[in-house]
Amino acid sequence: MTHRPADTTKTPFRLLARRAASLALATALTTTTAMGGYAQDITFWTQPQGDLLAYQDMFDTLTSEFREQSGINVSVEVINWSVAFNTWLTVAQGGAAPDCADMYWLHSFSGIGAGRFGPMPITQYKDQWPTLEEDFYEGALVDVHRNGEFYGIPWRVDIRPMMYRTDFLQEAGIDAPPDNWEQIVEQGLKLTQRDANGNVTRWGFALGANNNPGQTLMPYYWQAGGAMMTEDGRTATIDNDAMRTTLKFMQDLVHVHKITSPEIFEKSADPLADFTSGTVAIVGSTNNSWPSQFDRDYPELEGTWALEINPAGPTGERDSFSGAGYWGVLYGSKDVDACIDWIKFLSTPENMERISEVTGAASPRRSVMTSELWTQKPWQAVMAETLNYGHTSQHPSAVWNAIASPEPGAVLYDLVYNTVIGGGDIDAAVTEAQARMQTELDRANAS
Amino acid sequence: MTRQKYLFCYLMVAPAMLITTALGIYPMLFSLWMSFVEYDLLRINQFGTPFVGLDNYVEVFSDPRFVQTLFNTIIFTILAVAATLGFGLLLSQVLNANYRGRTAMRMLVCVPWFVPPAVASAIWMWLLNTDRSPINFLLQDAGLITSNIRWLTDSATWGPFSIPMMSIVAVRVWNGLPFAVIFLLAALQSIPRSLYEAAEVDGASLWQKFWYVTLPMLRPVLAILITLLVIGGLGSFEINYIMTGGGPQNLTNIMAVYSYQQAFSFYRFDLASAASGMIFIMTGFISIFYLRSQLKRVA
Repeated sequence: MTHRPADTTKTPFRLLARRAASLALATALTTTTAMGGYAQDITFWTQPQGDLLAYQDMFDTLTSEFREQSGINVSVEVINWSVAFNTWLTVAQGGAAPDCADMYWLHSFSGIGAGRFGPMPITQYKDQWPTLEEDFYEGALVDVHRNGEFYGIPWRVDIRPMMYRTDFLQEAGIDAPPDNWEQIVEQGLKLTQRDANGNVTRWGFALGANNNPGQTLMPYYWQAGGAMMTEDGRTATIDNDAMRTTLKFMQDLVHVHKITSPEIFEKSADPLADFTSGTVAIVGSTNNSWPSQFDRDYPELEGTWALEINPAGPTGERDSFSGAGYWGVLYGSKDVDACIDWIKFLSTPENMERISEVTGAASPRRSVMTSELWTQKPWQAVMAETLNYGHTSQHPSAVWNAIASPEPGAVLYDLVYNTVIGGGDIDAAVTEAQARMQTELDRANAS
Repeated sequence: MTRQKYLFCYLMVAPAMLITTALGIYPMLFSLWMSFVEYDLLRINQFGTPFVGLDNYVEVFSDPRFVQTLFNTIIFTILAVAATLGFGLLLSQVLNANYRGRTAMRMLVCVPWFVPPAVASAIWMWLLNTDRSPINFLLQDAGLITSNIRWLTDSATWGPFSIPMMSIVAVRVWNGLPFAVIFLLAALQSIPRSLYEAAEVDGASLWQKFWYVTLPMLRPVLAILITLLVIGGLGSFEINYIMTGGGPQNLTNIMAVYSYQQAFSFYRFDLASAASGMIFIMTGFISIFYLRSQLKRVA
C-alpha cells in the first residue's frame, strides 16, 4: 500500500519521458530528412510590399523555382512593417539574424552593427553583376554602397514625383501643372479655396505626402542646389543660401501665400485623405505607393489625377526624393555563397519585373521601368522618368536617420517646424541646426 | 507540516514571481542601470557602456524639451486624474441609482473600456481632425463657431493649458473613465443602506449625505484609485504618441513619449532610461506614500 502512491507518481513521469524522447527522435528524423533533401538551407527576411498574400505567394513560387534550379532551400519570413525597425535595430545589436534579407537604412544599421552585426559588405561578389551601373538607376545604387563597400542589390525604389488633381487644375483654367517654384505659388493661389468665413476648403499645394518635416525638406533643398553633408559623412553642410532659400519658400507658402496648410507636420495630418477628398490640389512630393493605390482602391477618382516630374527649383534642379530597399547578406550568415546565388536569382530582369508587378513598387532596374509593365499608363511613364532625377534620401552617416527622424527633437524636424510652421527666424534656426547636426555627425564618427 | 505548507505556497506563487521578475523587475533594473552608463547605440559596439554616474540625468534635465515634458506630464496627470475622479463619482452615483434601463446604462458606460487606447486614439484623431472633424461641423451648424477649432494642432497657450493638451486629456478620461466608475460603483454598493437611513433621520441633505457618508466610506477605494490613476497617468504613452506625437511644439509631450523618442529615434537608450528613471522615481514615490498610509491604517 505504501508503494502505490510512489508508483502512480512515477507513471506519468515515465509517460512524459517517453513522449519527450519520441518527440526528440521525430524532430531529429525530420531535420535529418530535410537536411538530406536540401544540402543548403538559408533564411531570408523581408517586409511586405503591396498585397500581403500576393507577396507571400510570390515568394513561395520564387523559392520553389530557386530550389529546383540550385538545390538551395530558402526559408522566407515576412516581417510586418510595424515591427521591422525594431527587428533590424535588434539585429544590428547582435540579435537573431537571418542569412540574407531585404533591408533598408544601410548607413544607420551598418553604423550600429560596427562591422560585427547587421549588413555585411559583399564587395568581393560585386563582379557577379558585371553591368550593375548600366542596369540600375544611379540614385538607387548609392543606397547600397557605404564607405566604398558594396552591400547588395536594390530591388524597390521609393521615388516621389509630383501628384495633382487634373479636375481642379482644369476648373481653375490651368493648362499644365507647375514646372518651377514660381508656378507653384501662382497655381497654388488659384487653386486654394475658402468658404464665406475664410476657412480653407481646399489647399492649393501640399509640400509632401507624409508628416515628416525632414523628408519634406530634402527634395526642395536639393532643388535649390543644397547638400546635407560632405561625401565622407563627417561635416554638416546645411548653413548656406540654398537652405535659407528653401526654408523661406516653404515658410512663405504657409504664412505669406497661405496656400499650404500649417498642419502638414502634425501627426493628425492625413495627406492621402486630403488629396482623395479634394481638400488638397497638388502634392509636391508624393508617396511612391499612391499611384498604384489609387488605381486599386480609388477607381472612382480615375481621370482626376496625374503625376508629373518635380518642379524645378531656383537653380533649375528637379531632384526627387528617392530611397531604395535592397537585398543583402548579414554578418553571421552561415552560407554567403548560397545567399549570393539567391540574390542573383532574384535580381534577374525577369524576376525583378515579376516582383515589381506583384508589389506595385517602382523598380531600380532600368529594363523593368522601360518594359511594357511600366509603360501602360501615363503615370508609370512619369514615375520612370522621375527616377532619372532620383536623389538618395540616405546620407553617409550612421546617425542620419536620427537627424532626419520625424520626431520633435530631431535636427531637421526642429529646423523645419520652427521656421516653416512656427514662422521663426531662418538665419538663427539654420545656424543652430548646423551646429546640432555637426554634433550628431561627430557622435557617429567618434571612432 | 508548516514547512511543507510554506513550500506549497512558494510553489504556487513561483510562476507569477518568475514572470514578474523576468518581464517586470529585471527590465526595470536593467533600464535603471542603463541610466547610469553610456548606452548610445551608435557607439556601443566600439566604446562599450562606460559608467557615467548622473551625467544622463544632468543631460536630460538640461534639455528644455525634457523640462517642458516633465511639466506637461504633471499637468496631464493632474487634469486626467481630477476629471476621471469627478466624472467617475458622478457617473457611479447615477449607475448606482434604481431606475429602468440601469443595466443598459452600465453597459454603455463600459464601452470605452473595451476600446484599446491605440484604437481609441485613431478614432479620436479622426473626430478631432481640423478639416474633417464632425464636432467642428456640428458646432458650425449650431452657429457656435465660425472657423474650425484646431483640436490637436493649435499652438496657442493659456498658461500651462492648450487646446491639444485638453483634447488629449479628454480622450484619456474617456478611455479611462469606465475603470474608475466600476471601481467606485463596487464601493458604493458596499456602503450599508442603514447609514443613509440614519443620515436621513438626522435631516441630512443630498450633499450632506454625499459629504458625510459616501465620501468617508469611499476613502479607502478612492486612495487606491487615485494611486492607480496617477501611476497610469505618469506612465501614459499611447494616446499622446499616436494622436500628436508630443506636438504641436512639444505642448502634449509627456515623459514616456520623450523616452521613446530618445531610444528609438535618436538611439540614445541612456537618455531614454534617465527619462524613464524619472517616471520610476515619481511612481515609486506615489506608491511608497500610498503603502505607508495603508500600513498606518492597518496598524
